[in-house]
Amino acid sequence: MTFMDLINFYFVPGVVLGSIYALGAVGITLVFGILRFAHLAHGDLATFGAFAALAFVTALGVSVWVALPLAMVAAGAVAIGLDRYFYDYLRERPKILTVMASLGIALMLRAIVQVFWGVDTETYTRGIVRPESYWGLRIRDRELYTFVAMFAIVGVLWVFLQNTKWGKAMRAMSDNPDLALLSGVDNRKVTMLTWAIVGMLCAAAGFFLGLNTELKALMGWTMLLPMFAAAILGGVGRVEGAVIGGLIIGVVEEMSVLVIPSEYKAALAFAILLLILLVRPTGLLKGKVL
Amino acid sequence: MKLTHLAFAATLAGATALTAQSALADVKVGLLGGVSGPIAAMAPPMLDAAQLAFQQVNDQGGILGGQSIEAVVGDSACNPQNGVDSATKLVNVEQVIGLVGPHCSGAVLAVANSVSVPAGVTLLTPSGTSPEITGLQDNDTVMRTVPSDDYQGRALARALLERGTSKVAVAYLNNDYGTGLAESFKDEFEANGGAVAGYAAHEEGKASYRSNLAELSRGGADTLVIFDYGDGTGLTILRQALENGFFENFVGGDGMKSEAVINELGAENLTTFVASSPVGTASTSLDLFRDAFTNVGGDPDAIFVTTSYDAGFLMALAIEKAGGDKAGIATALREVSNGEGEPILPGEWEKAVGLIAEGTAIDYKGASGDLDFDENGDVPGAYALFEVSEDTFKSIGEIK
Repeated sequence: MTFMDLINFYFVPGVVLGSIYALGAVGITLVFGILRFAHLAHGDLATFGAFAALAFVTALGVSVWVALPLAMVAAGAVAIGLDRYFYDYLRERPKILTVMASLGIALMLRAIVQVFWGVDTETYTRGIVRPESYWGLRIRDRELYTFVAMFAIVGVLWVFLQNTKWGKAMRAMSDNPDLALLSGVDNRKVTMLTWAIVGMLCAAAGFFLGLNTELKALMGWTMLLPMFAAAILGGVGRVEGAVIGGLIIGVVEEMSVLVIPSEYKAALAFAILLLILLVRPTGLLKGKVL
Repeated sequence: MKLTHLAFAATLAGATALTAQSALADVKVGLLGGVSGPIAAMAPPMLDAAQLAFQQVNDQGGILGGQSIEAVVGDSACNPQNGVDSATKLVNVEQVIGLVGPHCSGAVLAVANSVSVPAGVTLLTPSGTSPEITGLQDNDTVMRTVPSDDYQGRALARALLERGTSKVAVAYLNNDYGTGLAESFKDEFEANGGAVAGYAAHEEGKASYRSNLAELSRGGADTLVIFDYGDGTGLTILRQALENGFFENFVGGDGMKSEAVINELGAENLTTFVASSPVGTASTSLDLFRDAFTNVGGDPDAIFVTTSYDAGFLMALAIEKAGGDKAGIATALREVSNGEGEPILPGEWEKAVGLIAEGTAIDYKGASGDLDFDENGDVPGAYALFEVSEDTFKSIGEIK
């Protein structure tokens, strides 16, 4: 095997997969950090976003790149709705109730997707796309876009969190919600804003997963474990950590086939999750310990 | 207050009476299928075909002296856990007399081991094809109307060698279906002089299988054999193999013969793809089924519809033969389809009931074949190889 083969067939797919994990992990880390619970409906919200984009593509006949922002808005609205109608009631109760509720939400969202879009496997565009060769580097356009879009979306989020008033409020609530409340931060509005951002990130993750593979009702659910592993590996509450964690998990999963039998690839994210919780529970970038 | 109590008690009594009434009027059969999960796209026609059999029974005077047969549908989601959950509900709560299904091998094995065999309920699967099912310790209560993959794997191996393919790589789904098929394929292929240059299992639901494919292609084979589902992971694998040019030729088992493959990848990209699948040999039975299924709006060419119909019809015949005795159904299944007696074709329910009442032996000739069960409850099968032609699968000849 040449070096280029290693890059083309193991590293590049790993980076693309990692970018998708990263988009999901950033959302998970935000919920973890600001609202302090493990959001198990994250994968299925991503599935919903992906299918929402499909609906825009088929109903309006627009390009997938127009459908993406529309789907992000739709998923953001759904996420706000989920909080308003389900999670908000459990705010004062032990967090484990909200976690369990989110599992129920996951099943509901999946059922909605199956009722509306059916159970058949779908794609945004029919047919196959062969990769282009850039000096021996074989990349498909959409893989390049996935990678670039991930950095663009996370970059915008980063700037928002660092420099705007509402971004700072979100960080303050993540540090200490009571203190933030005392300083005049409106917790309800911050919660709503967080869910809007989380829903948008979910839709983006689902969209890029669907773009690179296919749309299936179970697509998001199966991504949940690697996304959680990525968020915890990077450090809970750390956006840049989630990106690094996602990329590491993606690349390690793909590279692992070189040394372990391929049927164990799926277990690798879980192994990394256990290892990081044992060795360095704060994650790579010193996040919260939950 | 007292009046309310009285009213409540009366309502309860009324409800109980109603339930008792309906239990008398209906014979319940469990219909377990992979409604959700990886074969969700294949399941609806299969369930419809089985329902057609029950419909015919009810239209032609009903079962066990005029009762109607009712199918209670359960979702096995094509996995052992959900299969056991819904089978438990069907057997213990709905009190079904027999089970048609589940659809997937893993679910069949789990349901047989922990639900149907302990409860003494007969299980007849129309699509559980794993060779593992043959060797189940089942007191002879697990049977199938679909041939074991042991036959298919071996037939496919011989067919490939005949077509001049002597070196392949095999990618199979890590479950009872994929493993069983892959093992018998590999065994036969190597025994007849072929070389398996790559042999690896994979888990379902991952976004990328390119590293798996790169590993497989390192053995130098230009043909990839995929034992997976064309609605699920198999589609992702086939797509990524095509896009990256890891292999030139692709071969699939029956799970890969799914319209989803053509719909999503495009027929123009699938010129080097062939898939094997069980086929009903041309017969009057098959024609009768095709007409009946087309009349109710079904597609008689969908996968496993013939075996599903046969499973439903056979189950009804066995219930009639056994006189509604749950414990006698397995024996009755063999008696109504053992190659001896007055032939019964699909839909000939009234005739069958008459013969059973007279005590004459009957022999069901199914749409999918004669269905003479062997000592393990298996049936022999016929297979054909299919290629993609004009947006659909077209047979290119039987394989043996």
